[in-house]
This record gives sequence, structure tokens and C-alpha cells, in this order.
Amino acid sequence: MTAAVSGARSVINRGLVLTTLGLLGVAGVMVLALGFTPVEATQGLAQKIFYVHVPAAFTALWVAVPATACAGLLYLWLHDPRLDRFAAASAEVSLVFCLVVLVTGPIWARPIWGAWWTWDGRLTLTLFLFFLLLGYQTMRAAIRDPVERARFSAVLGAMGLVLVPFIHLSVYLWRGLHPKPIVLKPGDPSLPPEMLHTLLYGLGAALLLYVGFVTLRYGIQLAQDQREAADAR
Amino acid sequence: MPDNGGYLNAAYIVAGIIYLGYTISLLRQARRR
Amino acid sequence: MGNLFRLALVLAGKDLRLELRTRTSIISAAVFAALVLIVFNFARDPTAVATLDLAPSVLWVTVAFASVLAMNRGFLVERENAAFDGLLLAPVPREALFLGKYLANFAFVMLVEAIALPLFVLFFNLDLSHALGGLVLTMLLATMGFVAVGTIFSAMVVKTRFAELMLPVLLLPFMVPPLILAVKTTVPLFAGRPLSEVVDGLRFLAIYDIVFLTLAVLLFPAVVDE
Repeated sequence: MTAAVSGARSVINRGLVLTTLGLLGVAGVMVLALGFTPVEATQGLAQKIFYVHVPAAFTALWVAVPATACAGLLYLWLHDPRLDRFAAASAEVSLVFCLVVLVTGPIWARPIWGAWWTWDGRLTLTLFLFFLLLGYQTMRAAIRDPVERARFSAVLGAMGLVLVPFIHLSVYLWRGLHPKPIVLKPGDPSLPPEMLHTLLYGLGAALLLYVGFVTLRYGIQLAQDQREAADAR
Repeated sequence: MPDNGGYLNAAYIVAGIIYLGYTISLLRQARRR
Repeated sequence: MGNLFRLALVLAGKDLRLELRTRTSIISAAVFAALVLIVFNFARDPTAVATLDLAPSVLWVTVAFASVLAMNRGFLVERENAAFDGLLLAPVPREALFLGKYLANFAFVMLVEAIALPLFVLFFNLDLSHALGGLVLTMLLATMGFVAVGTIFSAMVVKTRFAELMLPVLLLPFMVPPLILAVKTTVPLFAGRPLSEVVDGLRFLAIYDIVFLTLAVLLFPAVVDE
């Protein structure tokens, strides 16, 4: 095995370990929420969806998407293919987290607000993010040349990042409300300590899972790029 | 207190399926290469 | 700065002259706008929803779709004749290239809108004499935003495999904020409210335009340069 290929292998292995830890973390938080966290009186059991929904939302909106955009911008400056590889991996993982938000959100909304989809400001923003990311993936798939693909992805990423605050503002304007800050704890401004702890564990698990997924995806892409480079020779 | 535990179970299960599903997809890609 | 603008105008003029010579794009975009308006008319029940309530949405959806269609042609001409490489080799500042394309696209889309608006008034039987100034201003500002993002995206998608499908897929999320702002501005105008009441919406539109036009000009070189 050449040094380069074993390098990709070790990244993949590291990603596997981190992902496993992340998955265990998420499972652990679910157990914590189910068994050891108080039930919210007005919302009932369904409120506990919060401990999975909010960490996923935070990771997608504040970690995964900005990481993709920043890596892209750095690529435009430094032209390092590793940055593009990271941006692509982060974008794909963002899509997964957005999906979790968009699925758990309505499941939470139905018993609480009576409707599956209410064009809630935050969920709508996540929906847009989802479509931006889908567009990103679709565009990448349609470009053959890796350098061009990297440049265009960076441009799209940068424009997407700037779009997010505009979407946030205009959705709230559309609903006739004042823009609310996208806080970590929606609704209840002061969580009892046990709930806060579970939420923070949930956040930690989601972030760990993000790092694991991105590492794994990056390693897979690295292995593929190296194999293609070797074939070309 | 409303009885909506069913929704909670559904949400946790679906979230788990999405996370696990993506993991499995990545594992299969890693194995193939 | 003045030179840049003059160069952009020359490039835009070349583009528009080419379009007007064949006229097919303008005609298809105008026909498309008319058809969308007709379909909207038949897709609603006039007894159920008042025309005035639905009118702003109909107008802006039509404008949005027609704009995307009109911008699809964006860099197609150059690509087909490999003329773009020639343009890039010439010592033309990239900003001028972008602005030239932008102005041409803007003029083109405004032309389609100028055809769609009277049709809209005709089909939906509206009296917009009081709102016309504000409406035109809103259309100008919204179009400036659409075309800024549309121009840079059409430069990107022109070389991809499914260009005509890719442009709307990428562009539509970016069109939503100006769309929301435009509708928010149009509804009071149609209801007879004075322009002074919708100034906030127009200001946000202008901010969107400035931000994305600047961003597009800054990022365009990354799209066209190797």
C-alpha cells in the first residue's frame, strides 16, 4: 500500500471512530432525555424531541454551513484542493442534519401546534438551506473538471451564506413579525438545569457526529481522488 | 398533560434512521474503495 | 470608473443588438409570460377569491419565472460560438464583462416585464393608474436583484450538463427575498396606499440589490478566469 493510500485509510478510520462515538452520543442523549429528564408540563412528552431537533439545527446552521462557505472562500484565496474536499464533505453532512431538522420539526409541531407545517421562521429557513445545499450538490455533480467544480462551489457557497440573513429577515417580514434571534433554546428563555444539561449533551453529541461524518466523508473522497490520480498516470 | 409520547418515539426513531442510514451509506462507500 | 461603465455599455449594446436581430428570445419570453398569466386566470375561481387579493402573487410569480427563462440565454450565445474565450483573452476587465452582461440581461428582462405588465392589467381587469409609479419602481428594484444573481449563475451553469434546469434550481432560493419584499410592497400599492407607506420595503430591496450586485462583481472573476 502506498503511503498516500494508507493516508486516506487512516483518515477513514479516524472518521469511523468519531462517527461511532457520535452515534453513541446521540443514542445516549435520547436515553438521557427519555429516562432522566423531566417532562415539560404544557407540551408533554413530545417536547423531548427538542433534544434531538435543536442540536441538529444548531449544527447545521451555525457549524456545518458556515464551515462549507468559509472553506470555499479560503479555496478561492489559497487554491488548495483539500479545502474544496472539506467544503464538499461539510455540505453533504449539512444536508443530513438539515434533513433531521426538517423531519423532527413537523413531528414536534403536529402535537404542539396542531399542524405539520406552519411556515415557522426557523423551519422555513432550514428548508431554504436544504434547497441551497441540494442545488450545491446538483451543481457539483454536473461539473466534470475538479478545479472548475471547486471554484464554482466556492462562489455558490459564498453567495448562499450571504443569502441566509436575507432569508431570515424576509421570512419574518412575510409573517409580519419582528425578526427573532435564532436562539439555542426556542420559546422558553430559561430552562431548568436538567433540561439545559441534556440539551448541552445533545449539542456535544451532534457536533461530535458532525466531525465524525465530515472526517469519514473527507477520507472517502481523498481515497477516490488518489485512485483517480493514480489511474490517470 | 397531553398524551403525545407516540410523536416522541416517531421523531427519535426517524432521526436515528437518518443518522444510521447516512453512516451505513458512507461505510459502503468506504468499503467499495 | 467611467471607462469601465462605458465598456460595459458597449458590451451590453453588442448583446442586445444580437438579441434584437433574431428576436426569438424576446418573443418566446413574452409569449411565456402571457401564457402564465392566462393559465393563472383559468386556474382560479373568480367567485371564490377577489382578483385584487390574488393579483400581486400572480404578477410576481409570472415575473419571476419569465426572468429565469429570459436569463437562461445569458451566456449561451458566447458558449455556442466559443466567443467567450475570445472575450476573455482580450484585455477586458472582468468587472466590465460582468456589468455588460448584467445590463444586457437587465434590459432584456425589463422588456419582457414591460410586455407582461399591460397584459396583466388587461387580463385581470385592474385599474392601476394610482399605483403605476410605485409598481414600476418595485419592478425595477426587484429585477436588479434577480438579474445580479442570475447573471453570475448563468455564467456558471452554461458549461454544465443540464444548464436550463440548473439555473432555476440554483436561482430560485435567491429570488425569494426580493420576491417577498416585492409582494409586500405591491399589496398596499394595489389597495391604493401611497408610495410613502411602502418605502421600507423598497429600501430593503435596494439593500439586497447593492449587496448581491457587489458580491456578483467580486466573485465573477473566480467564475470566468482559469
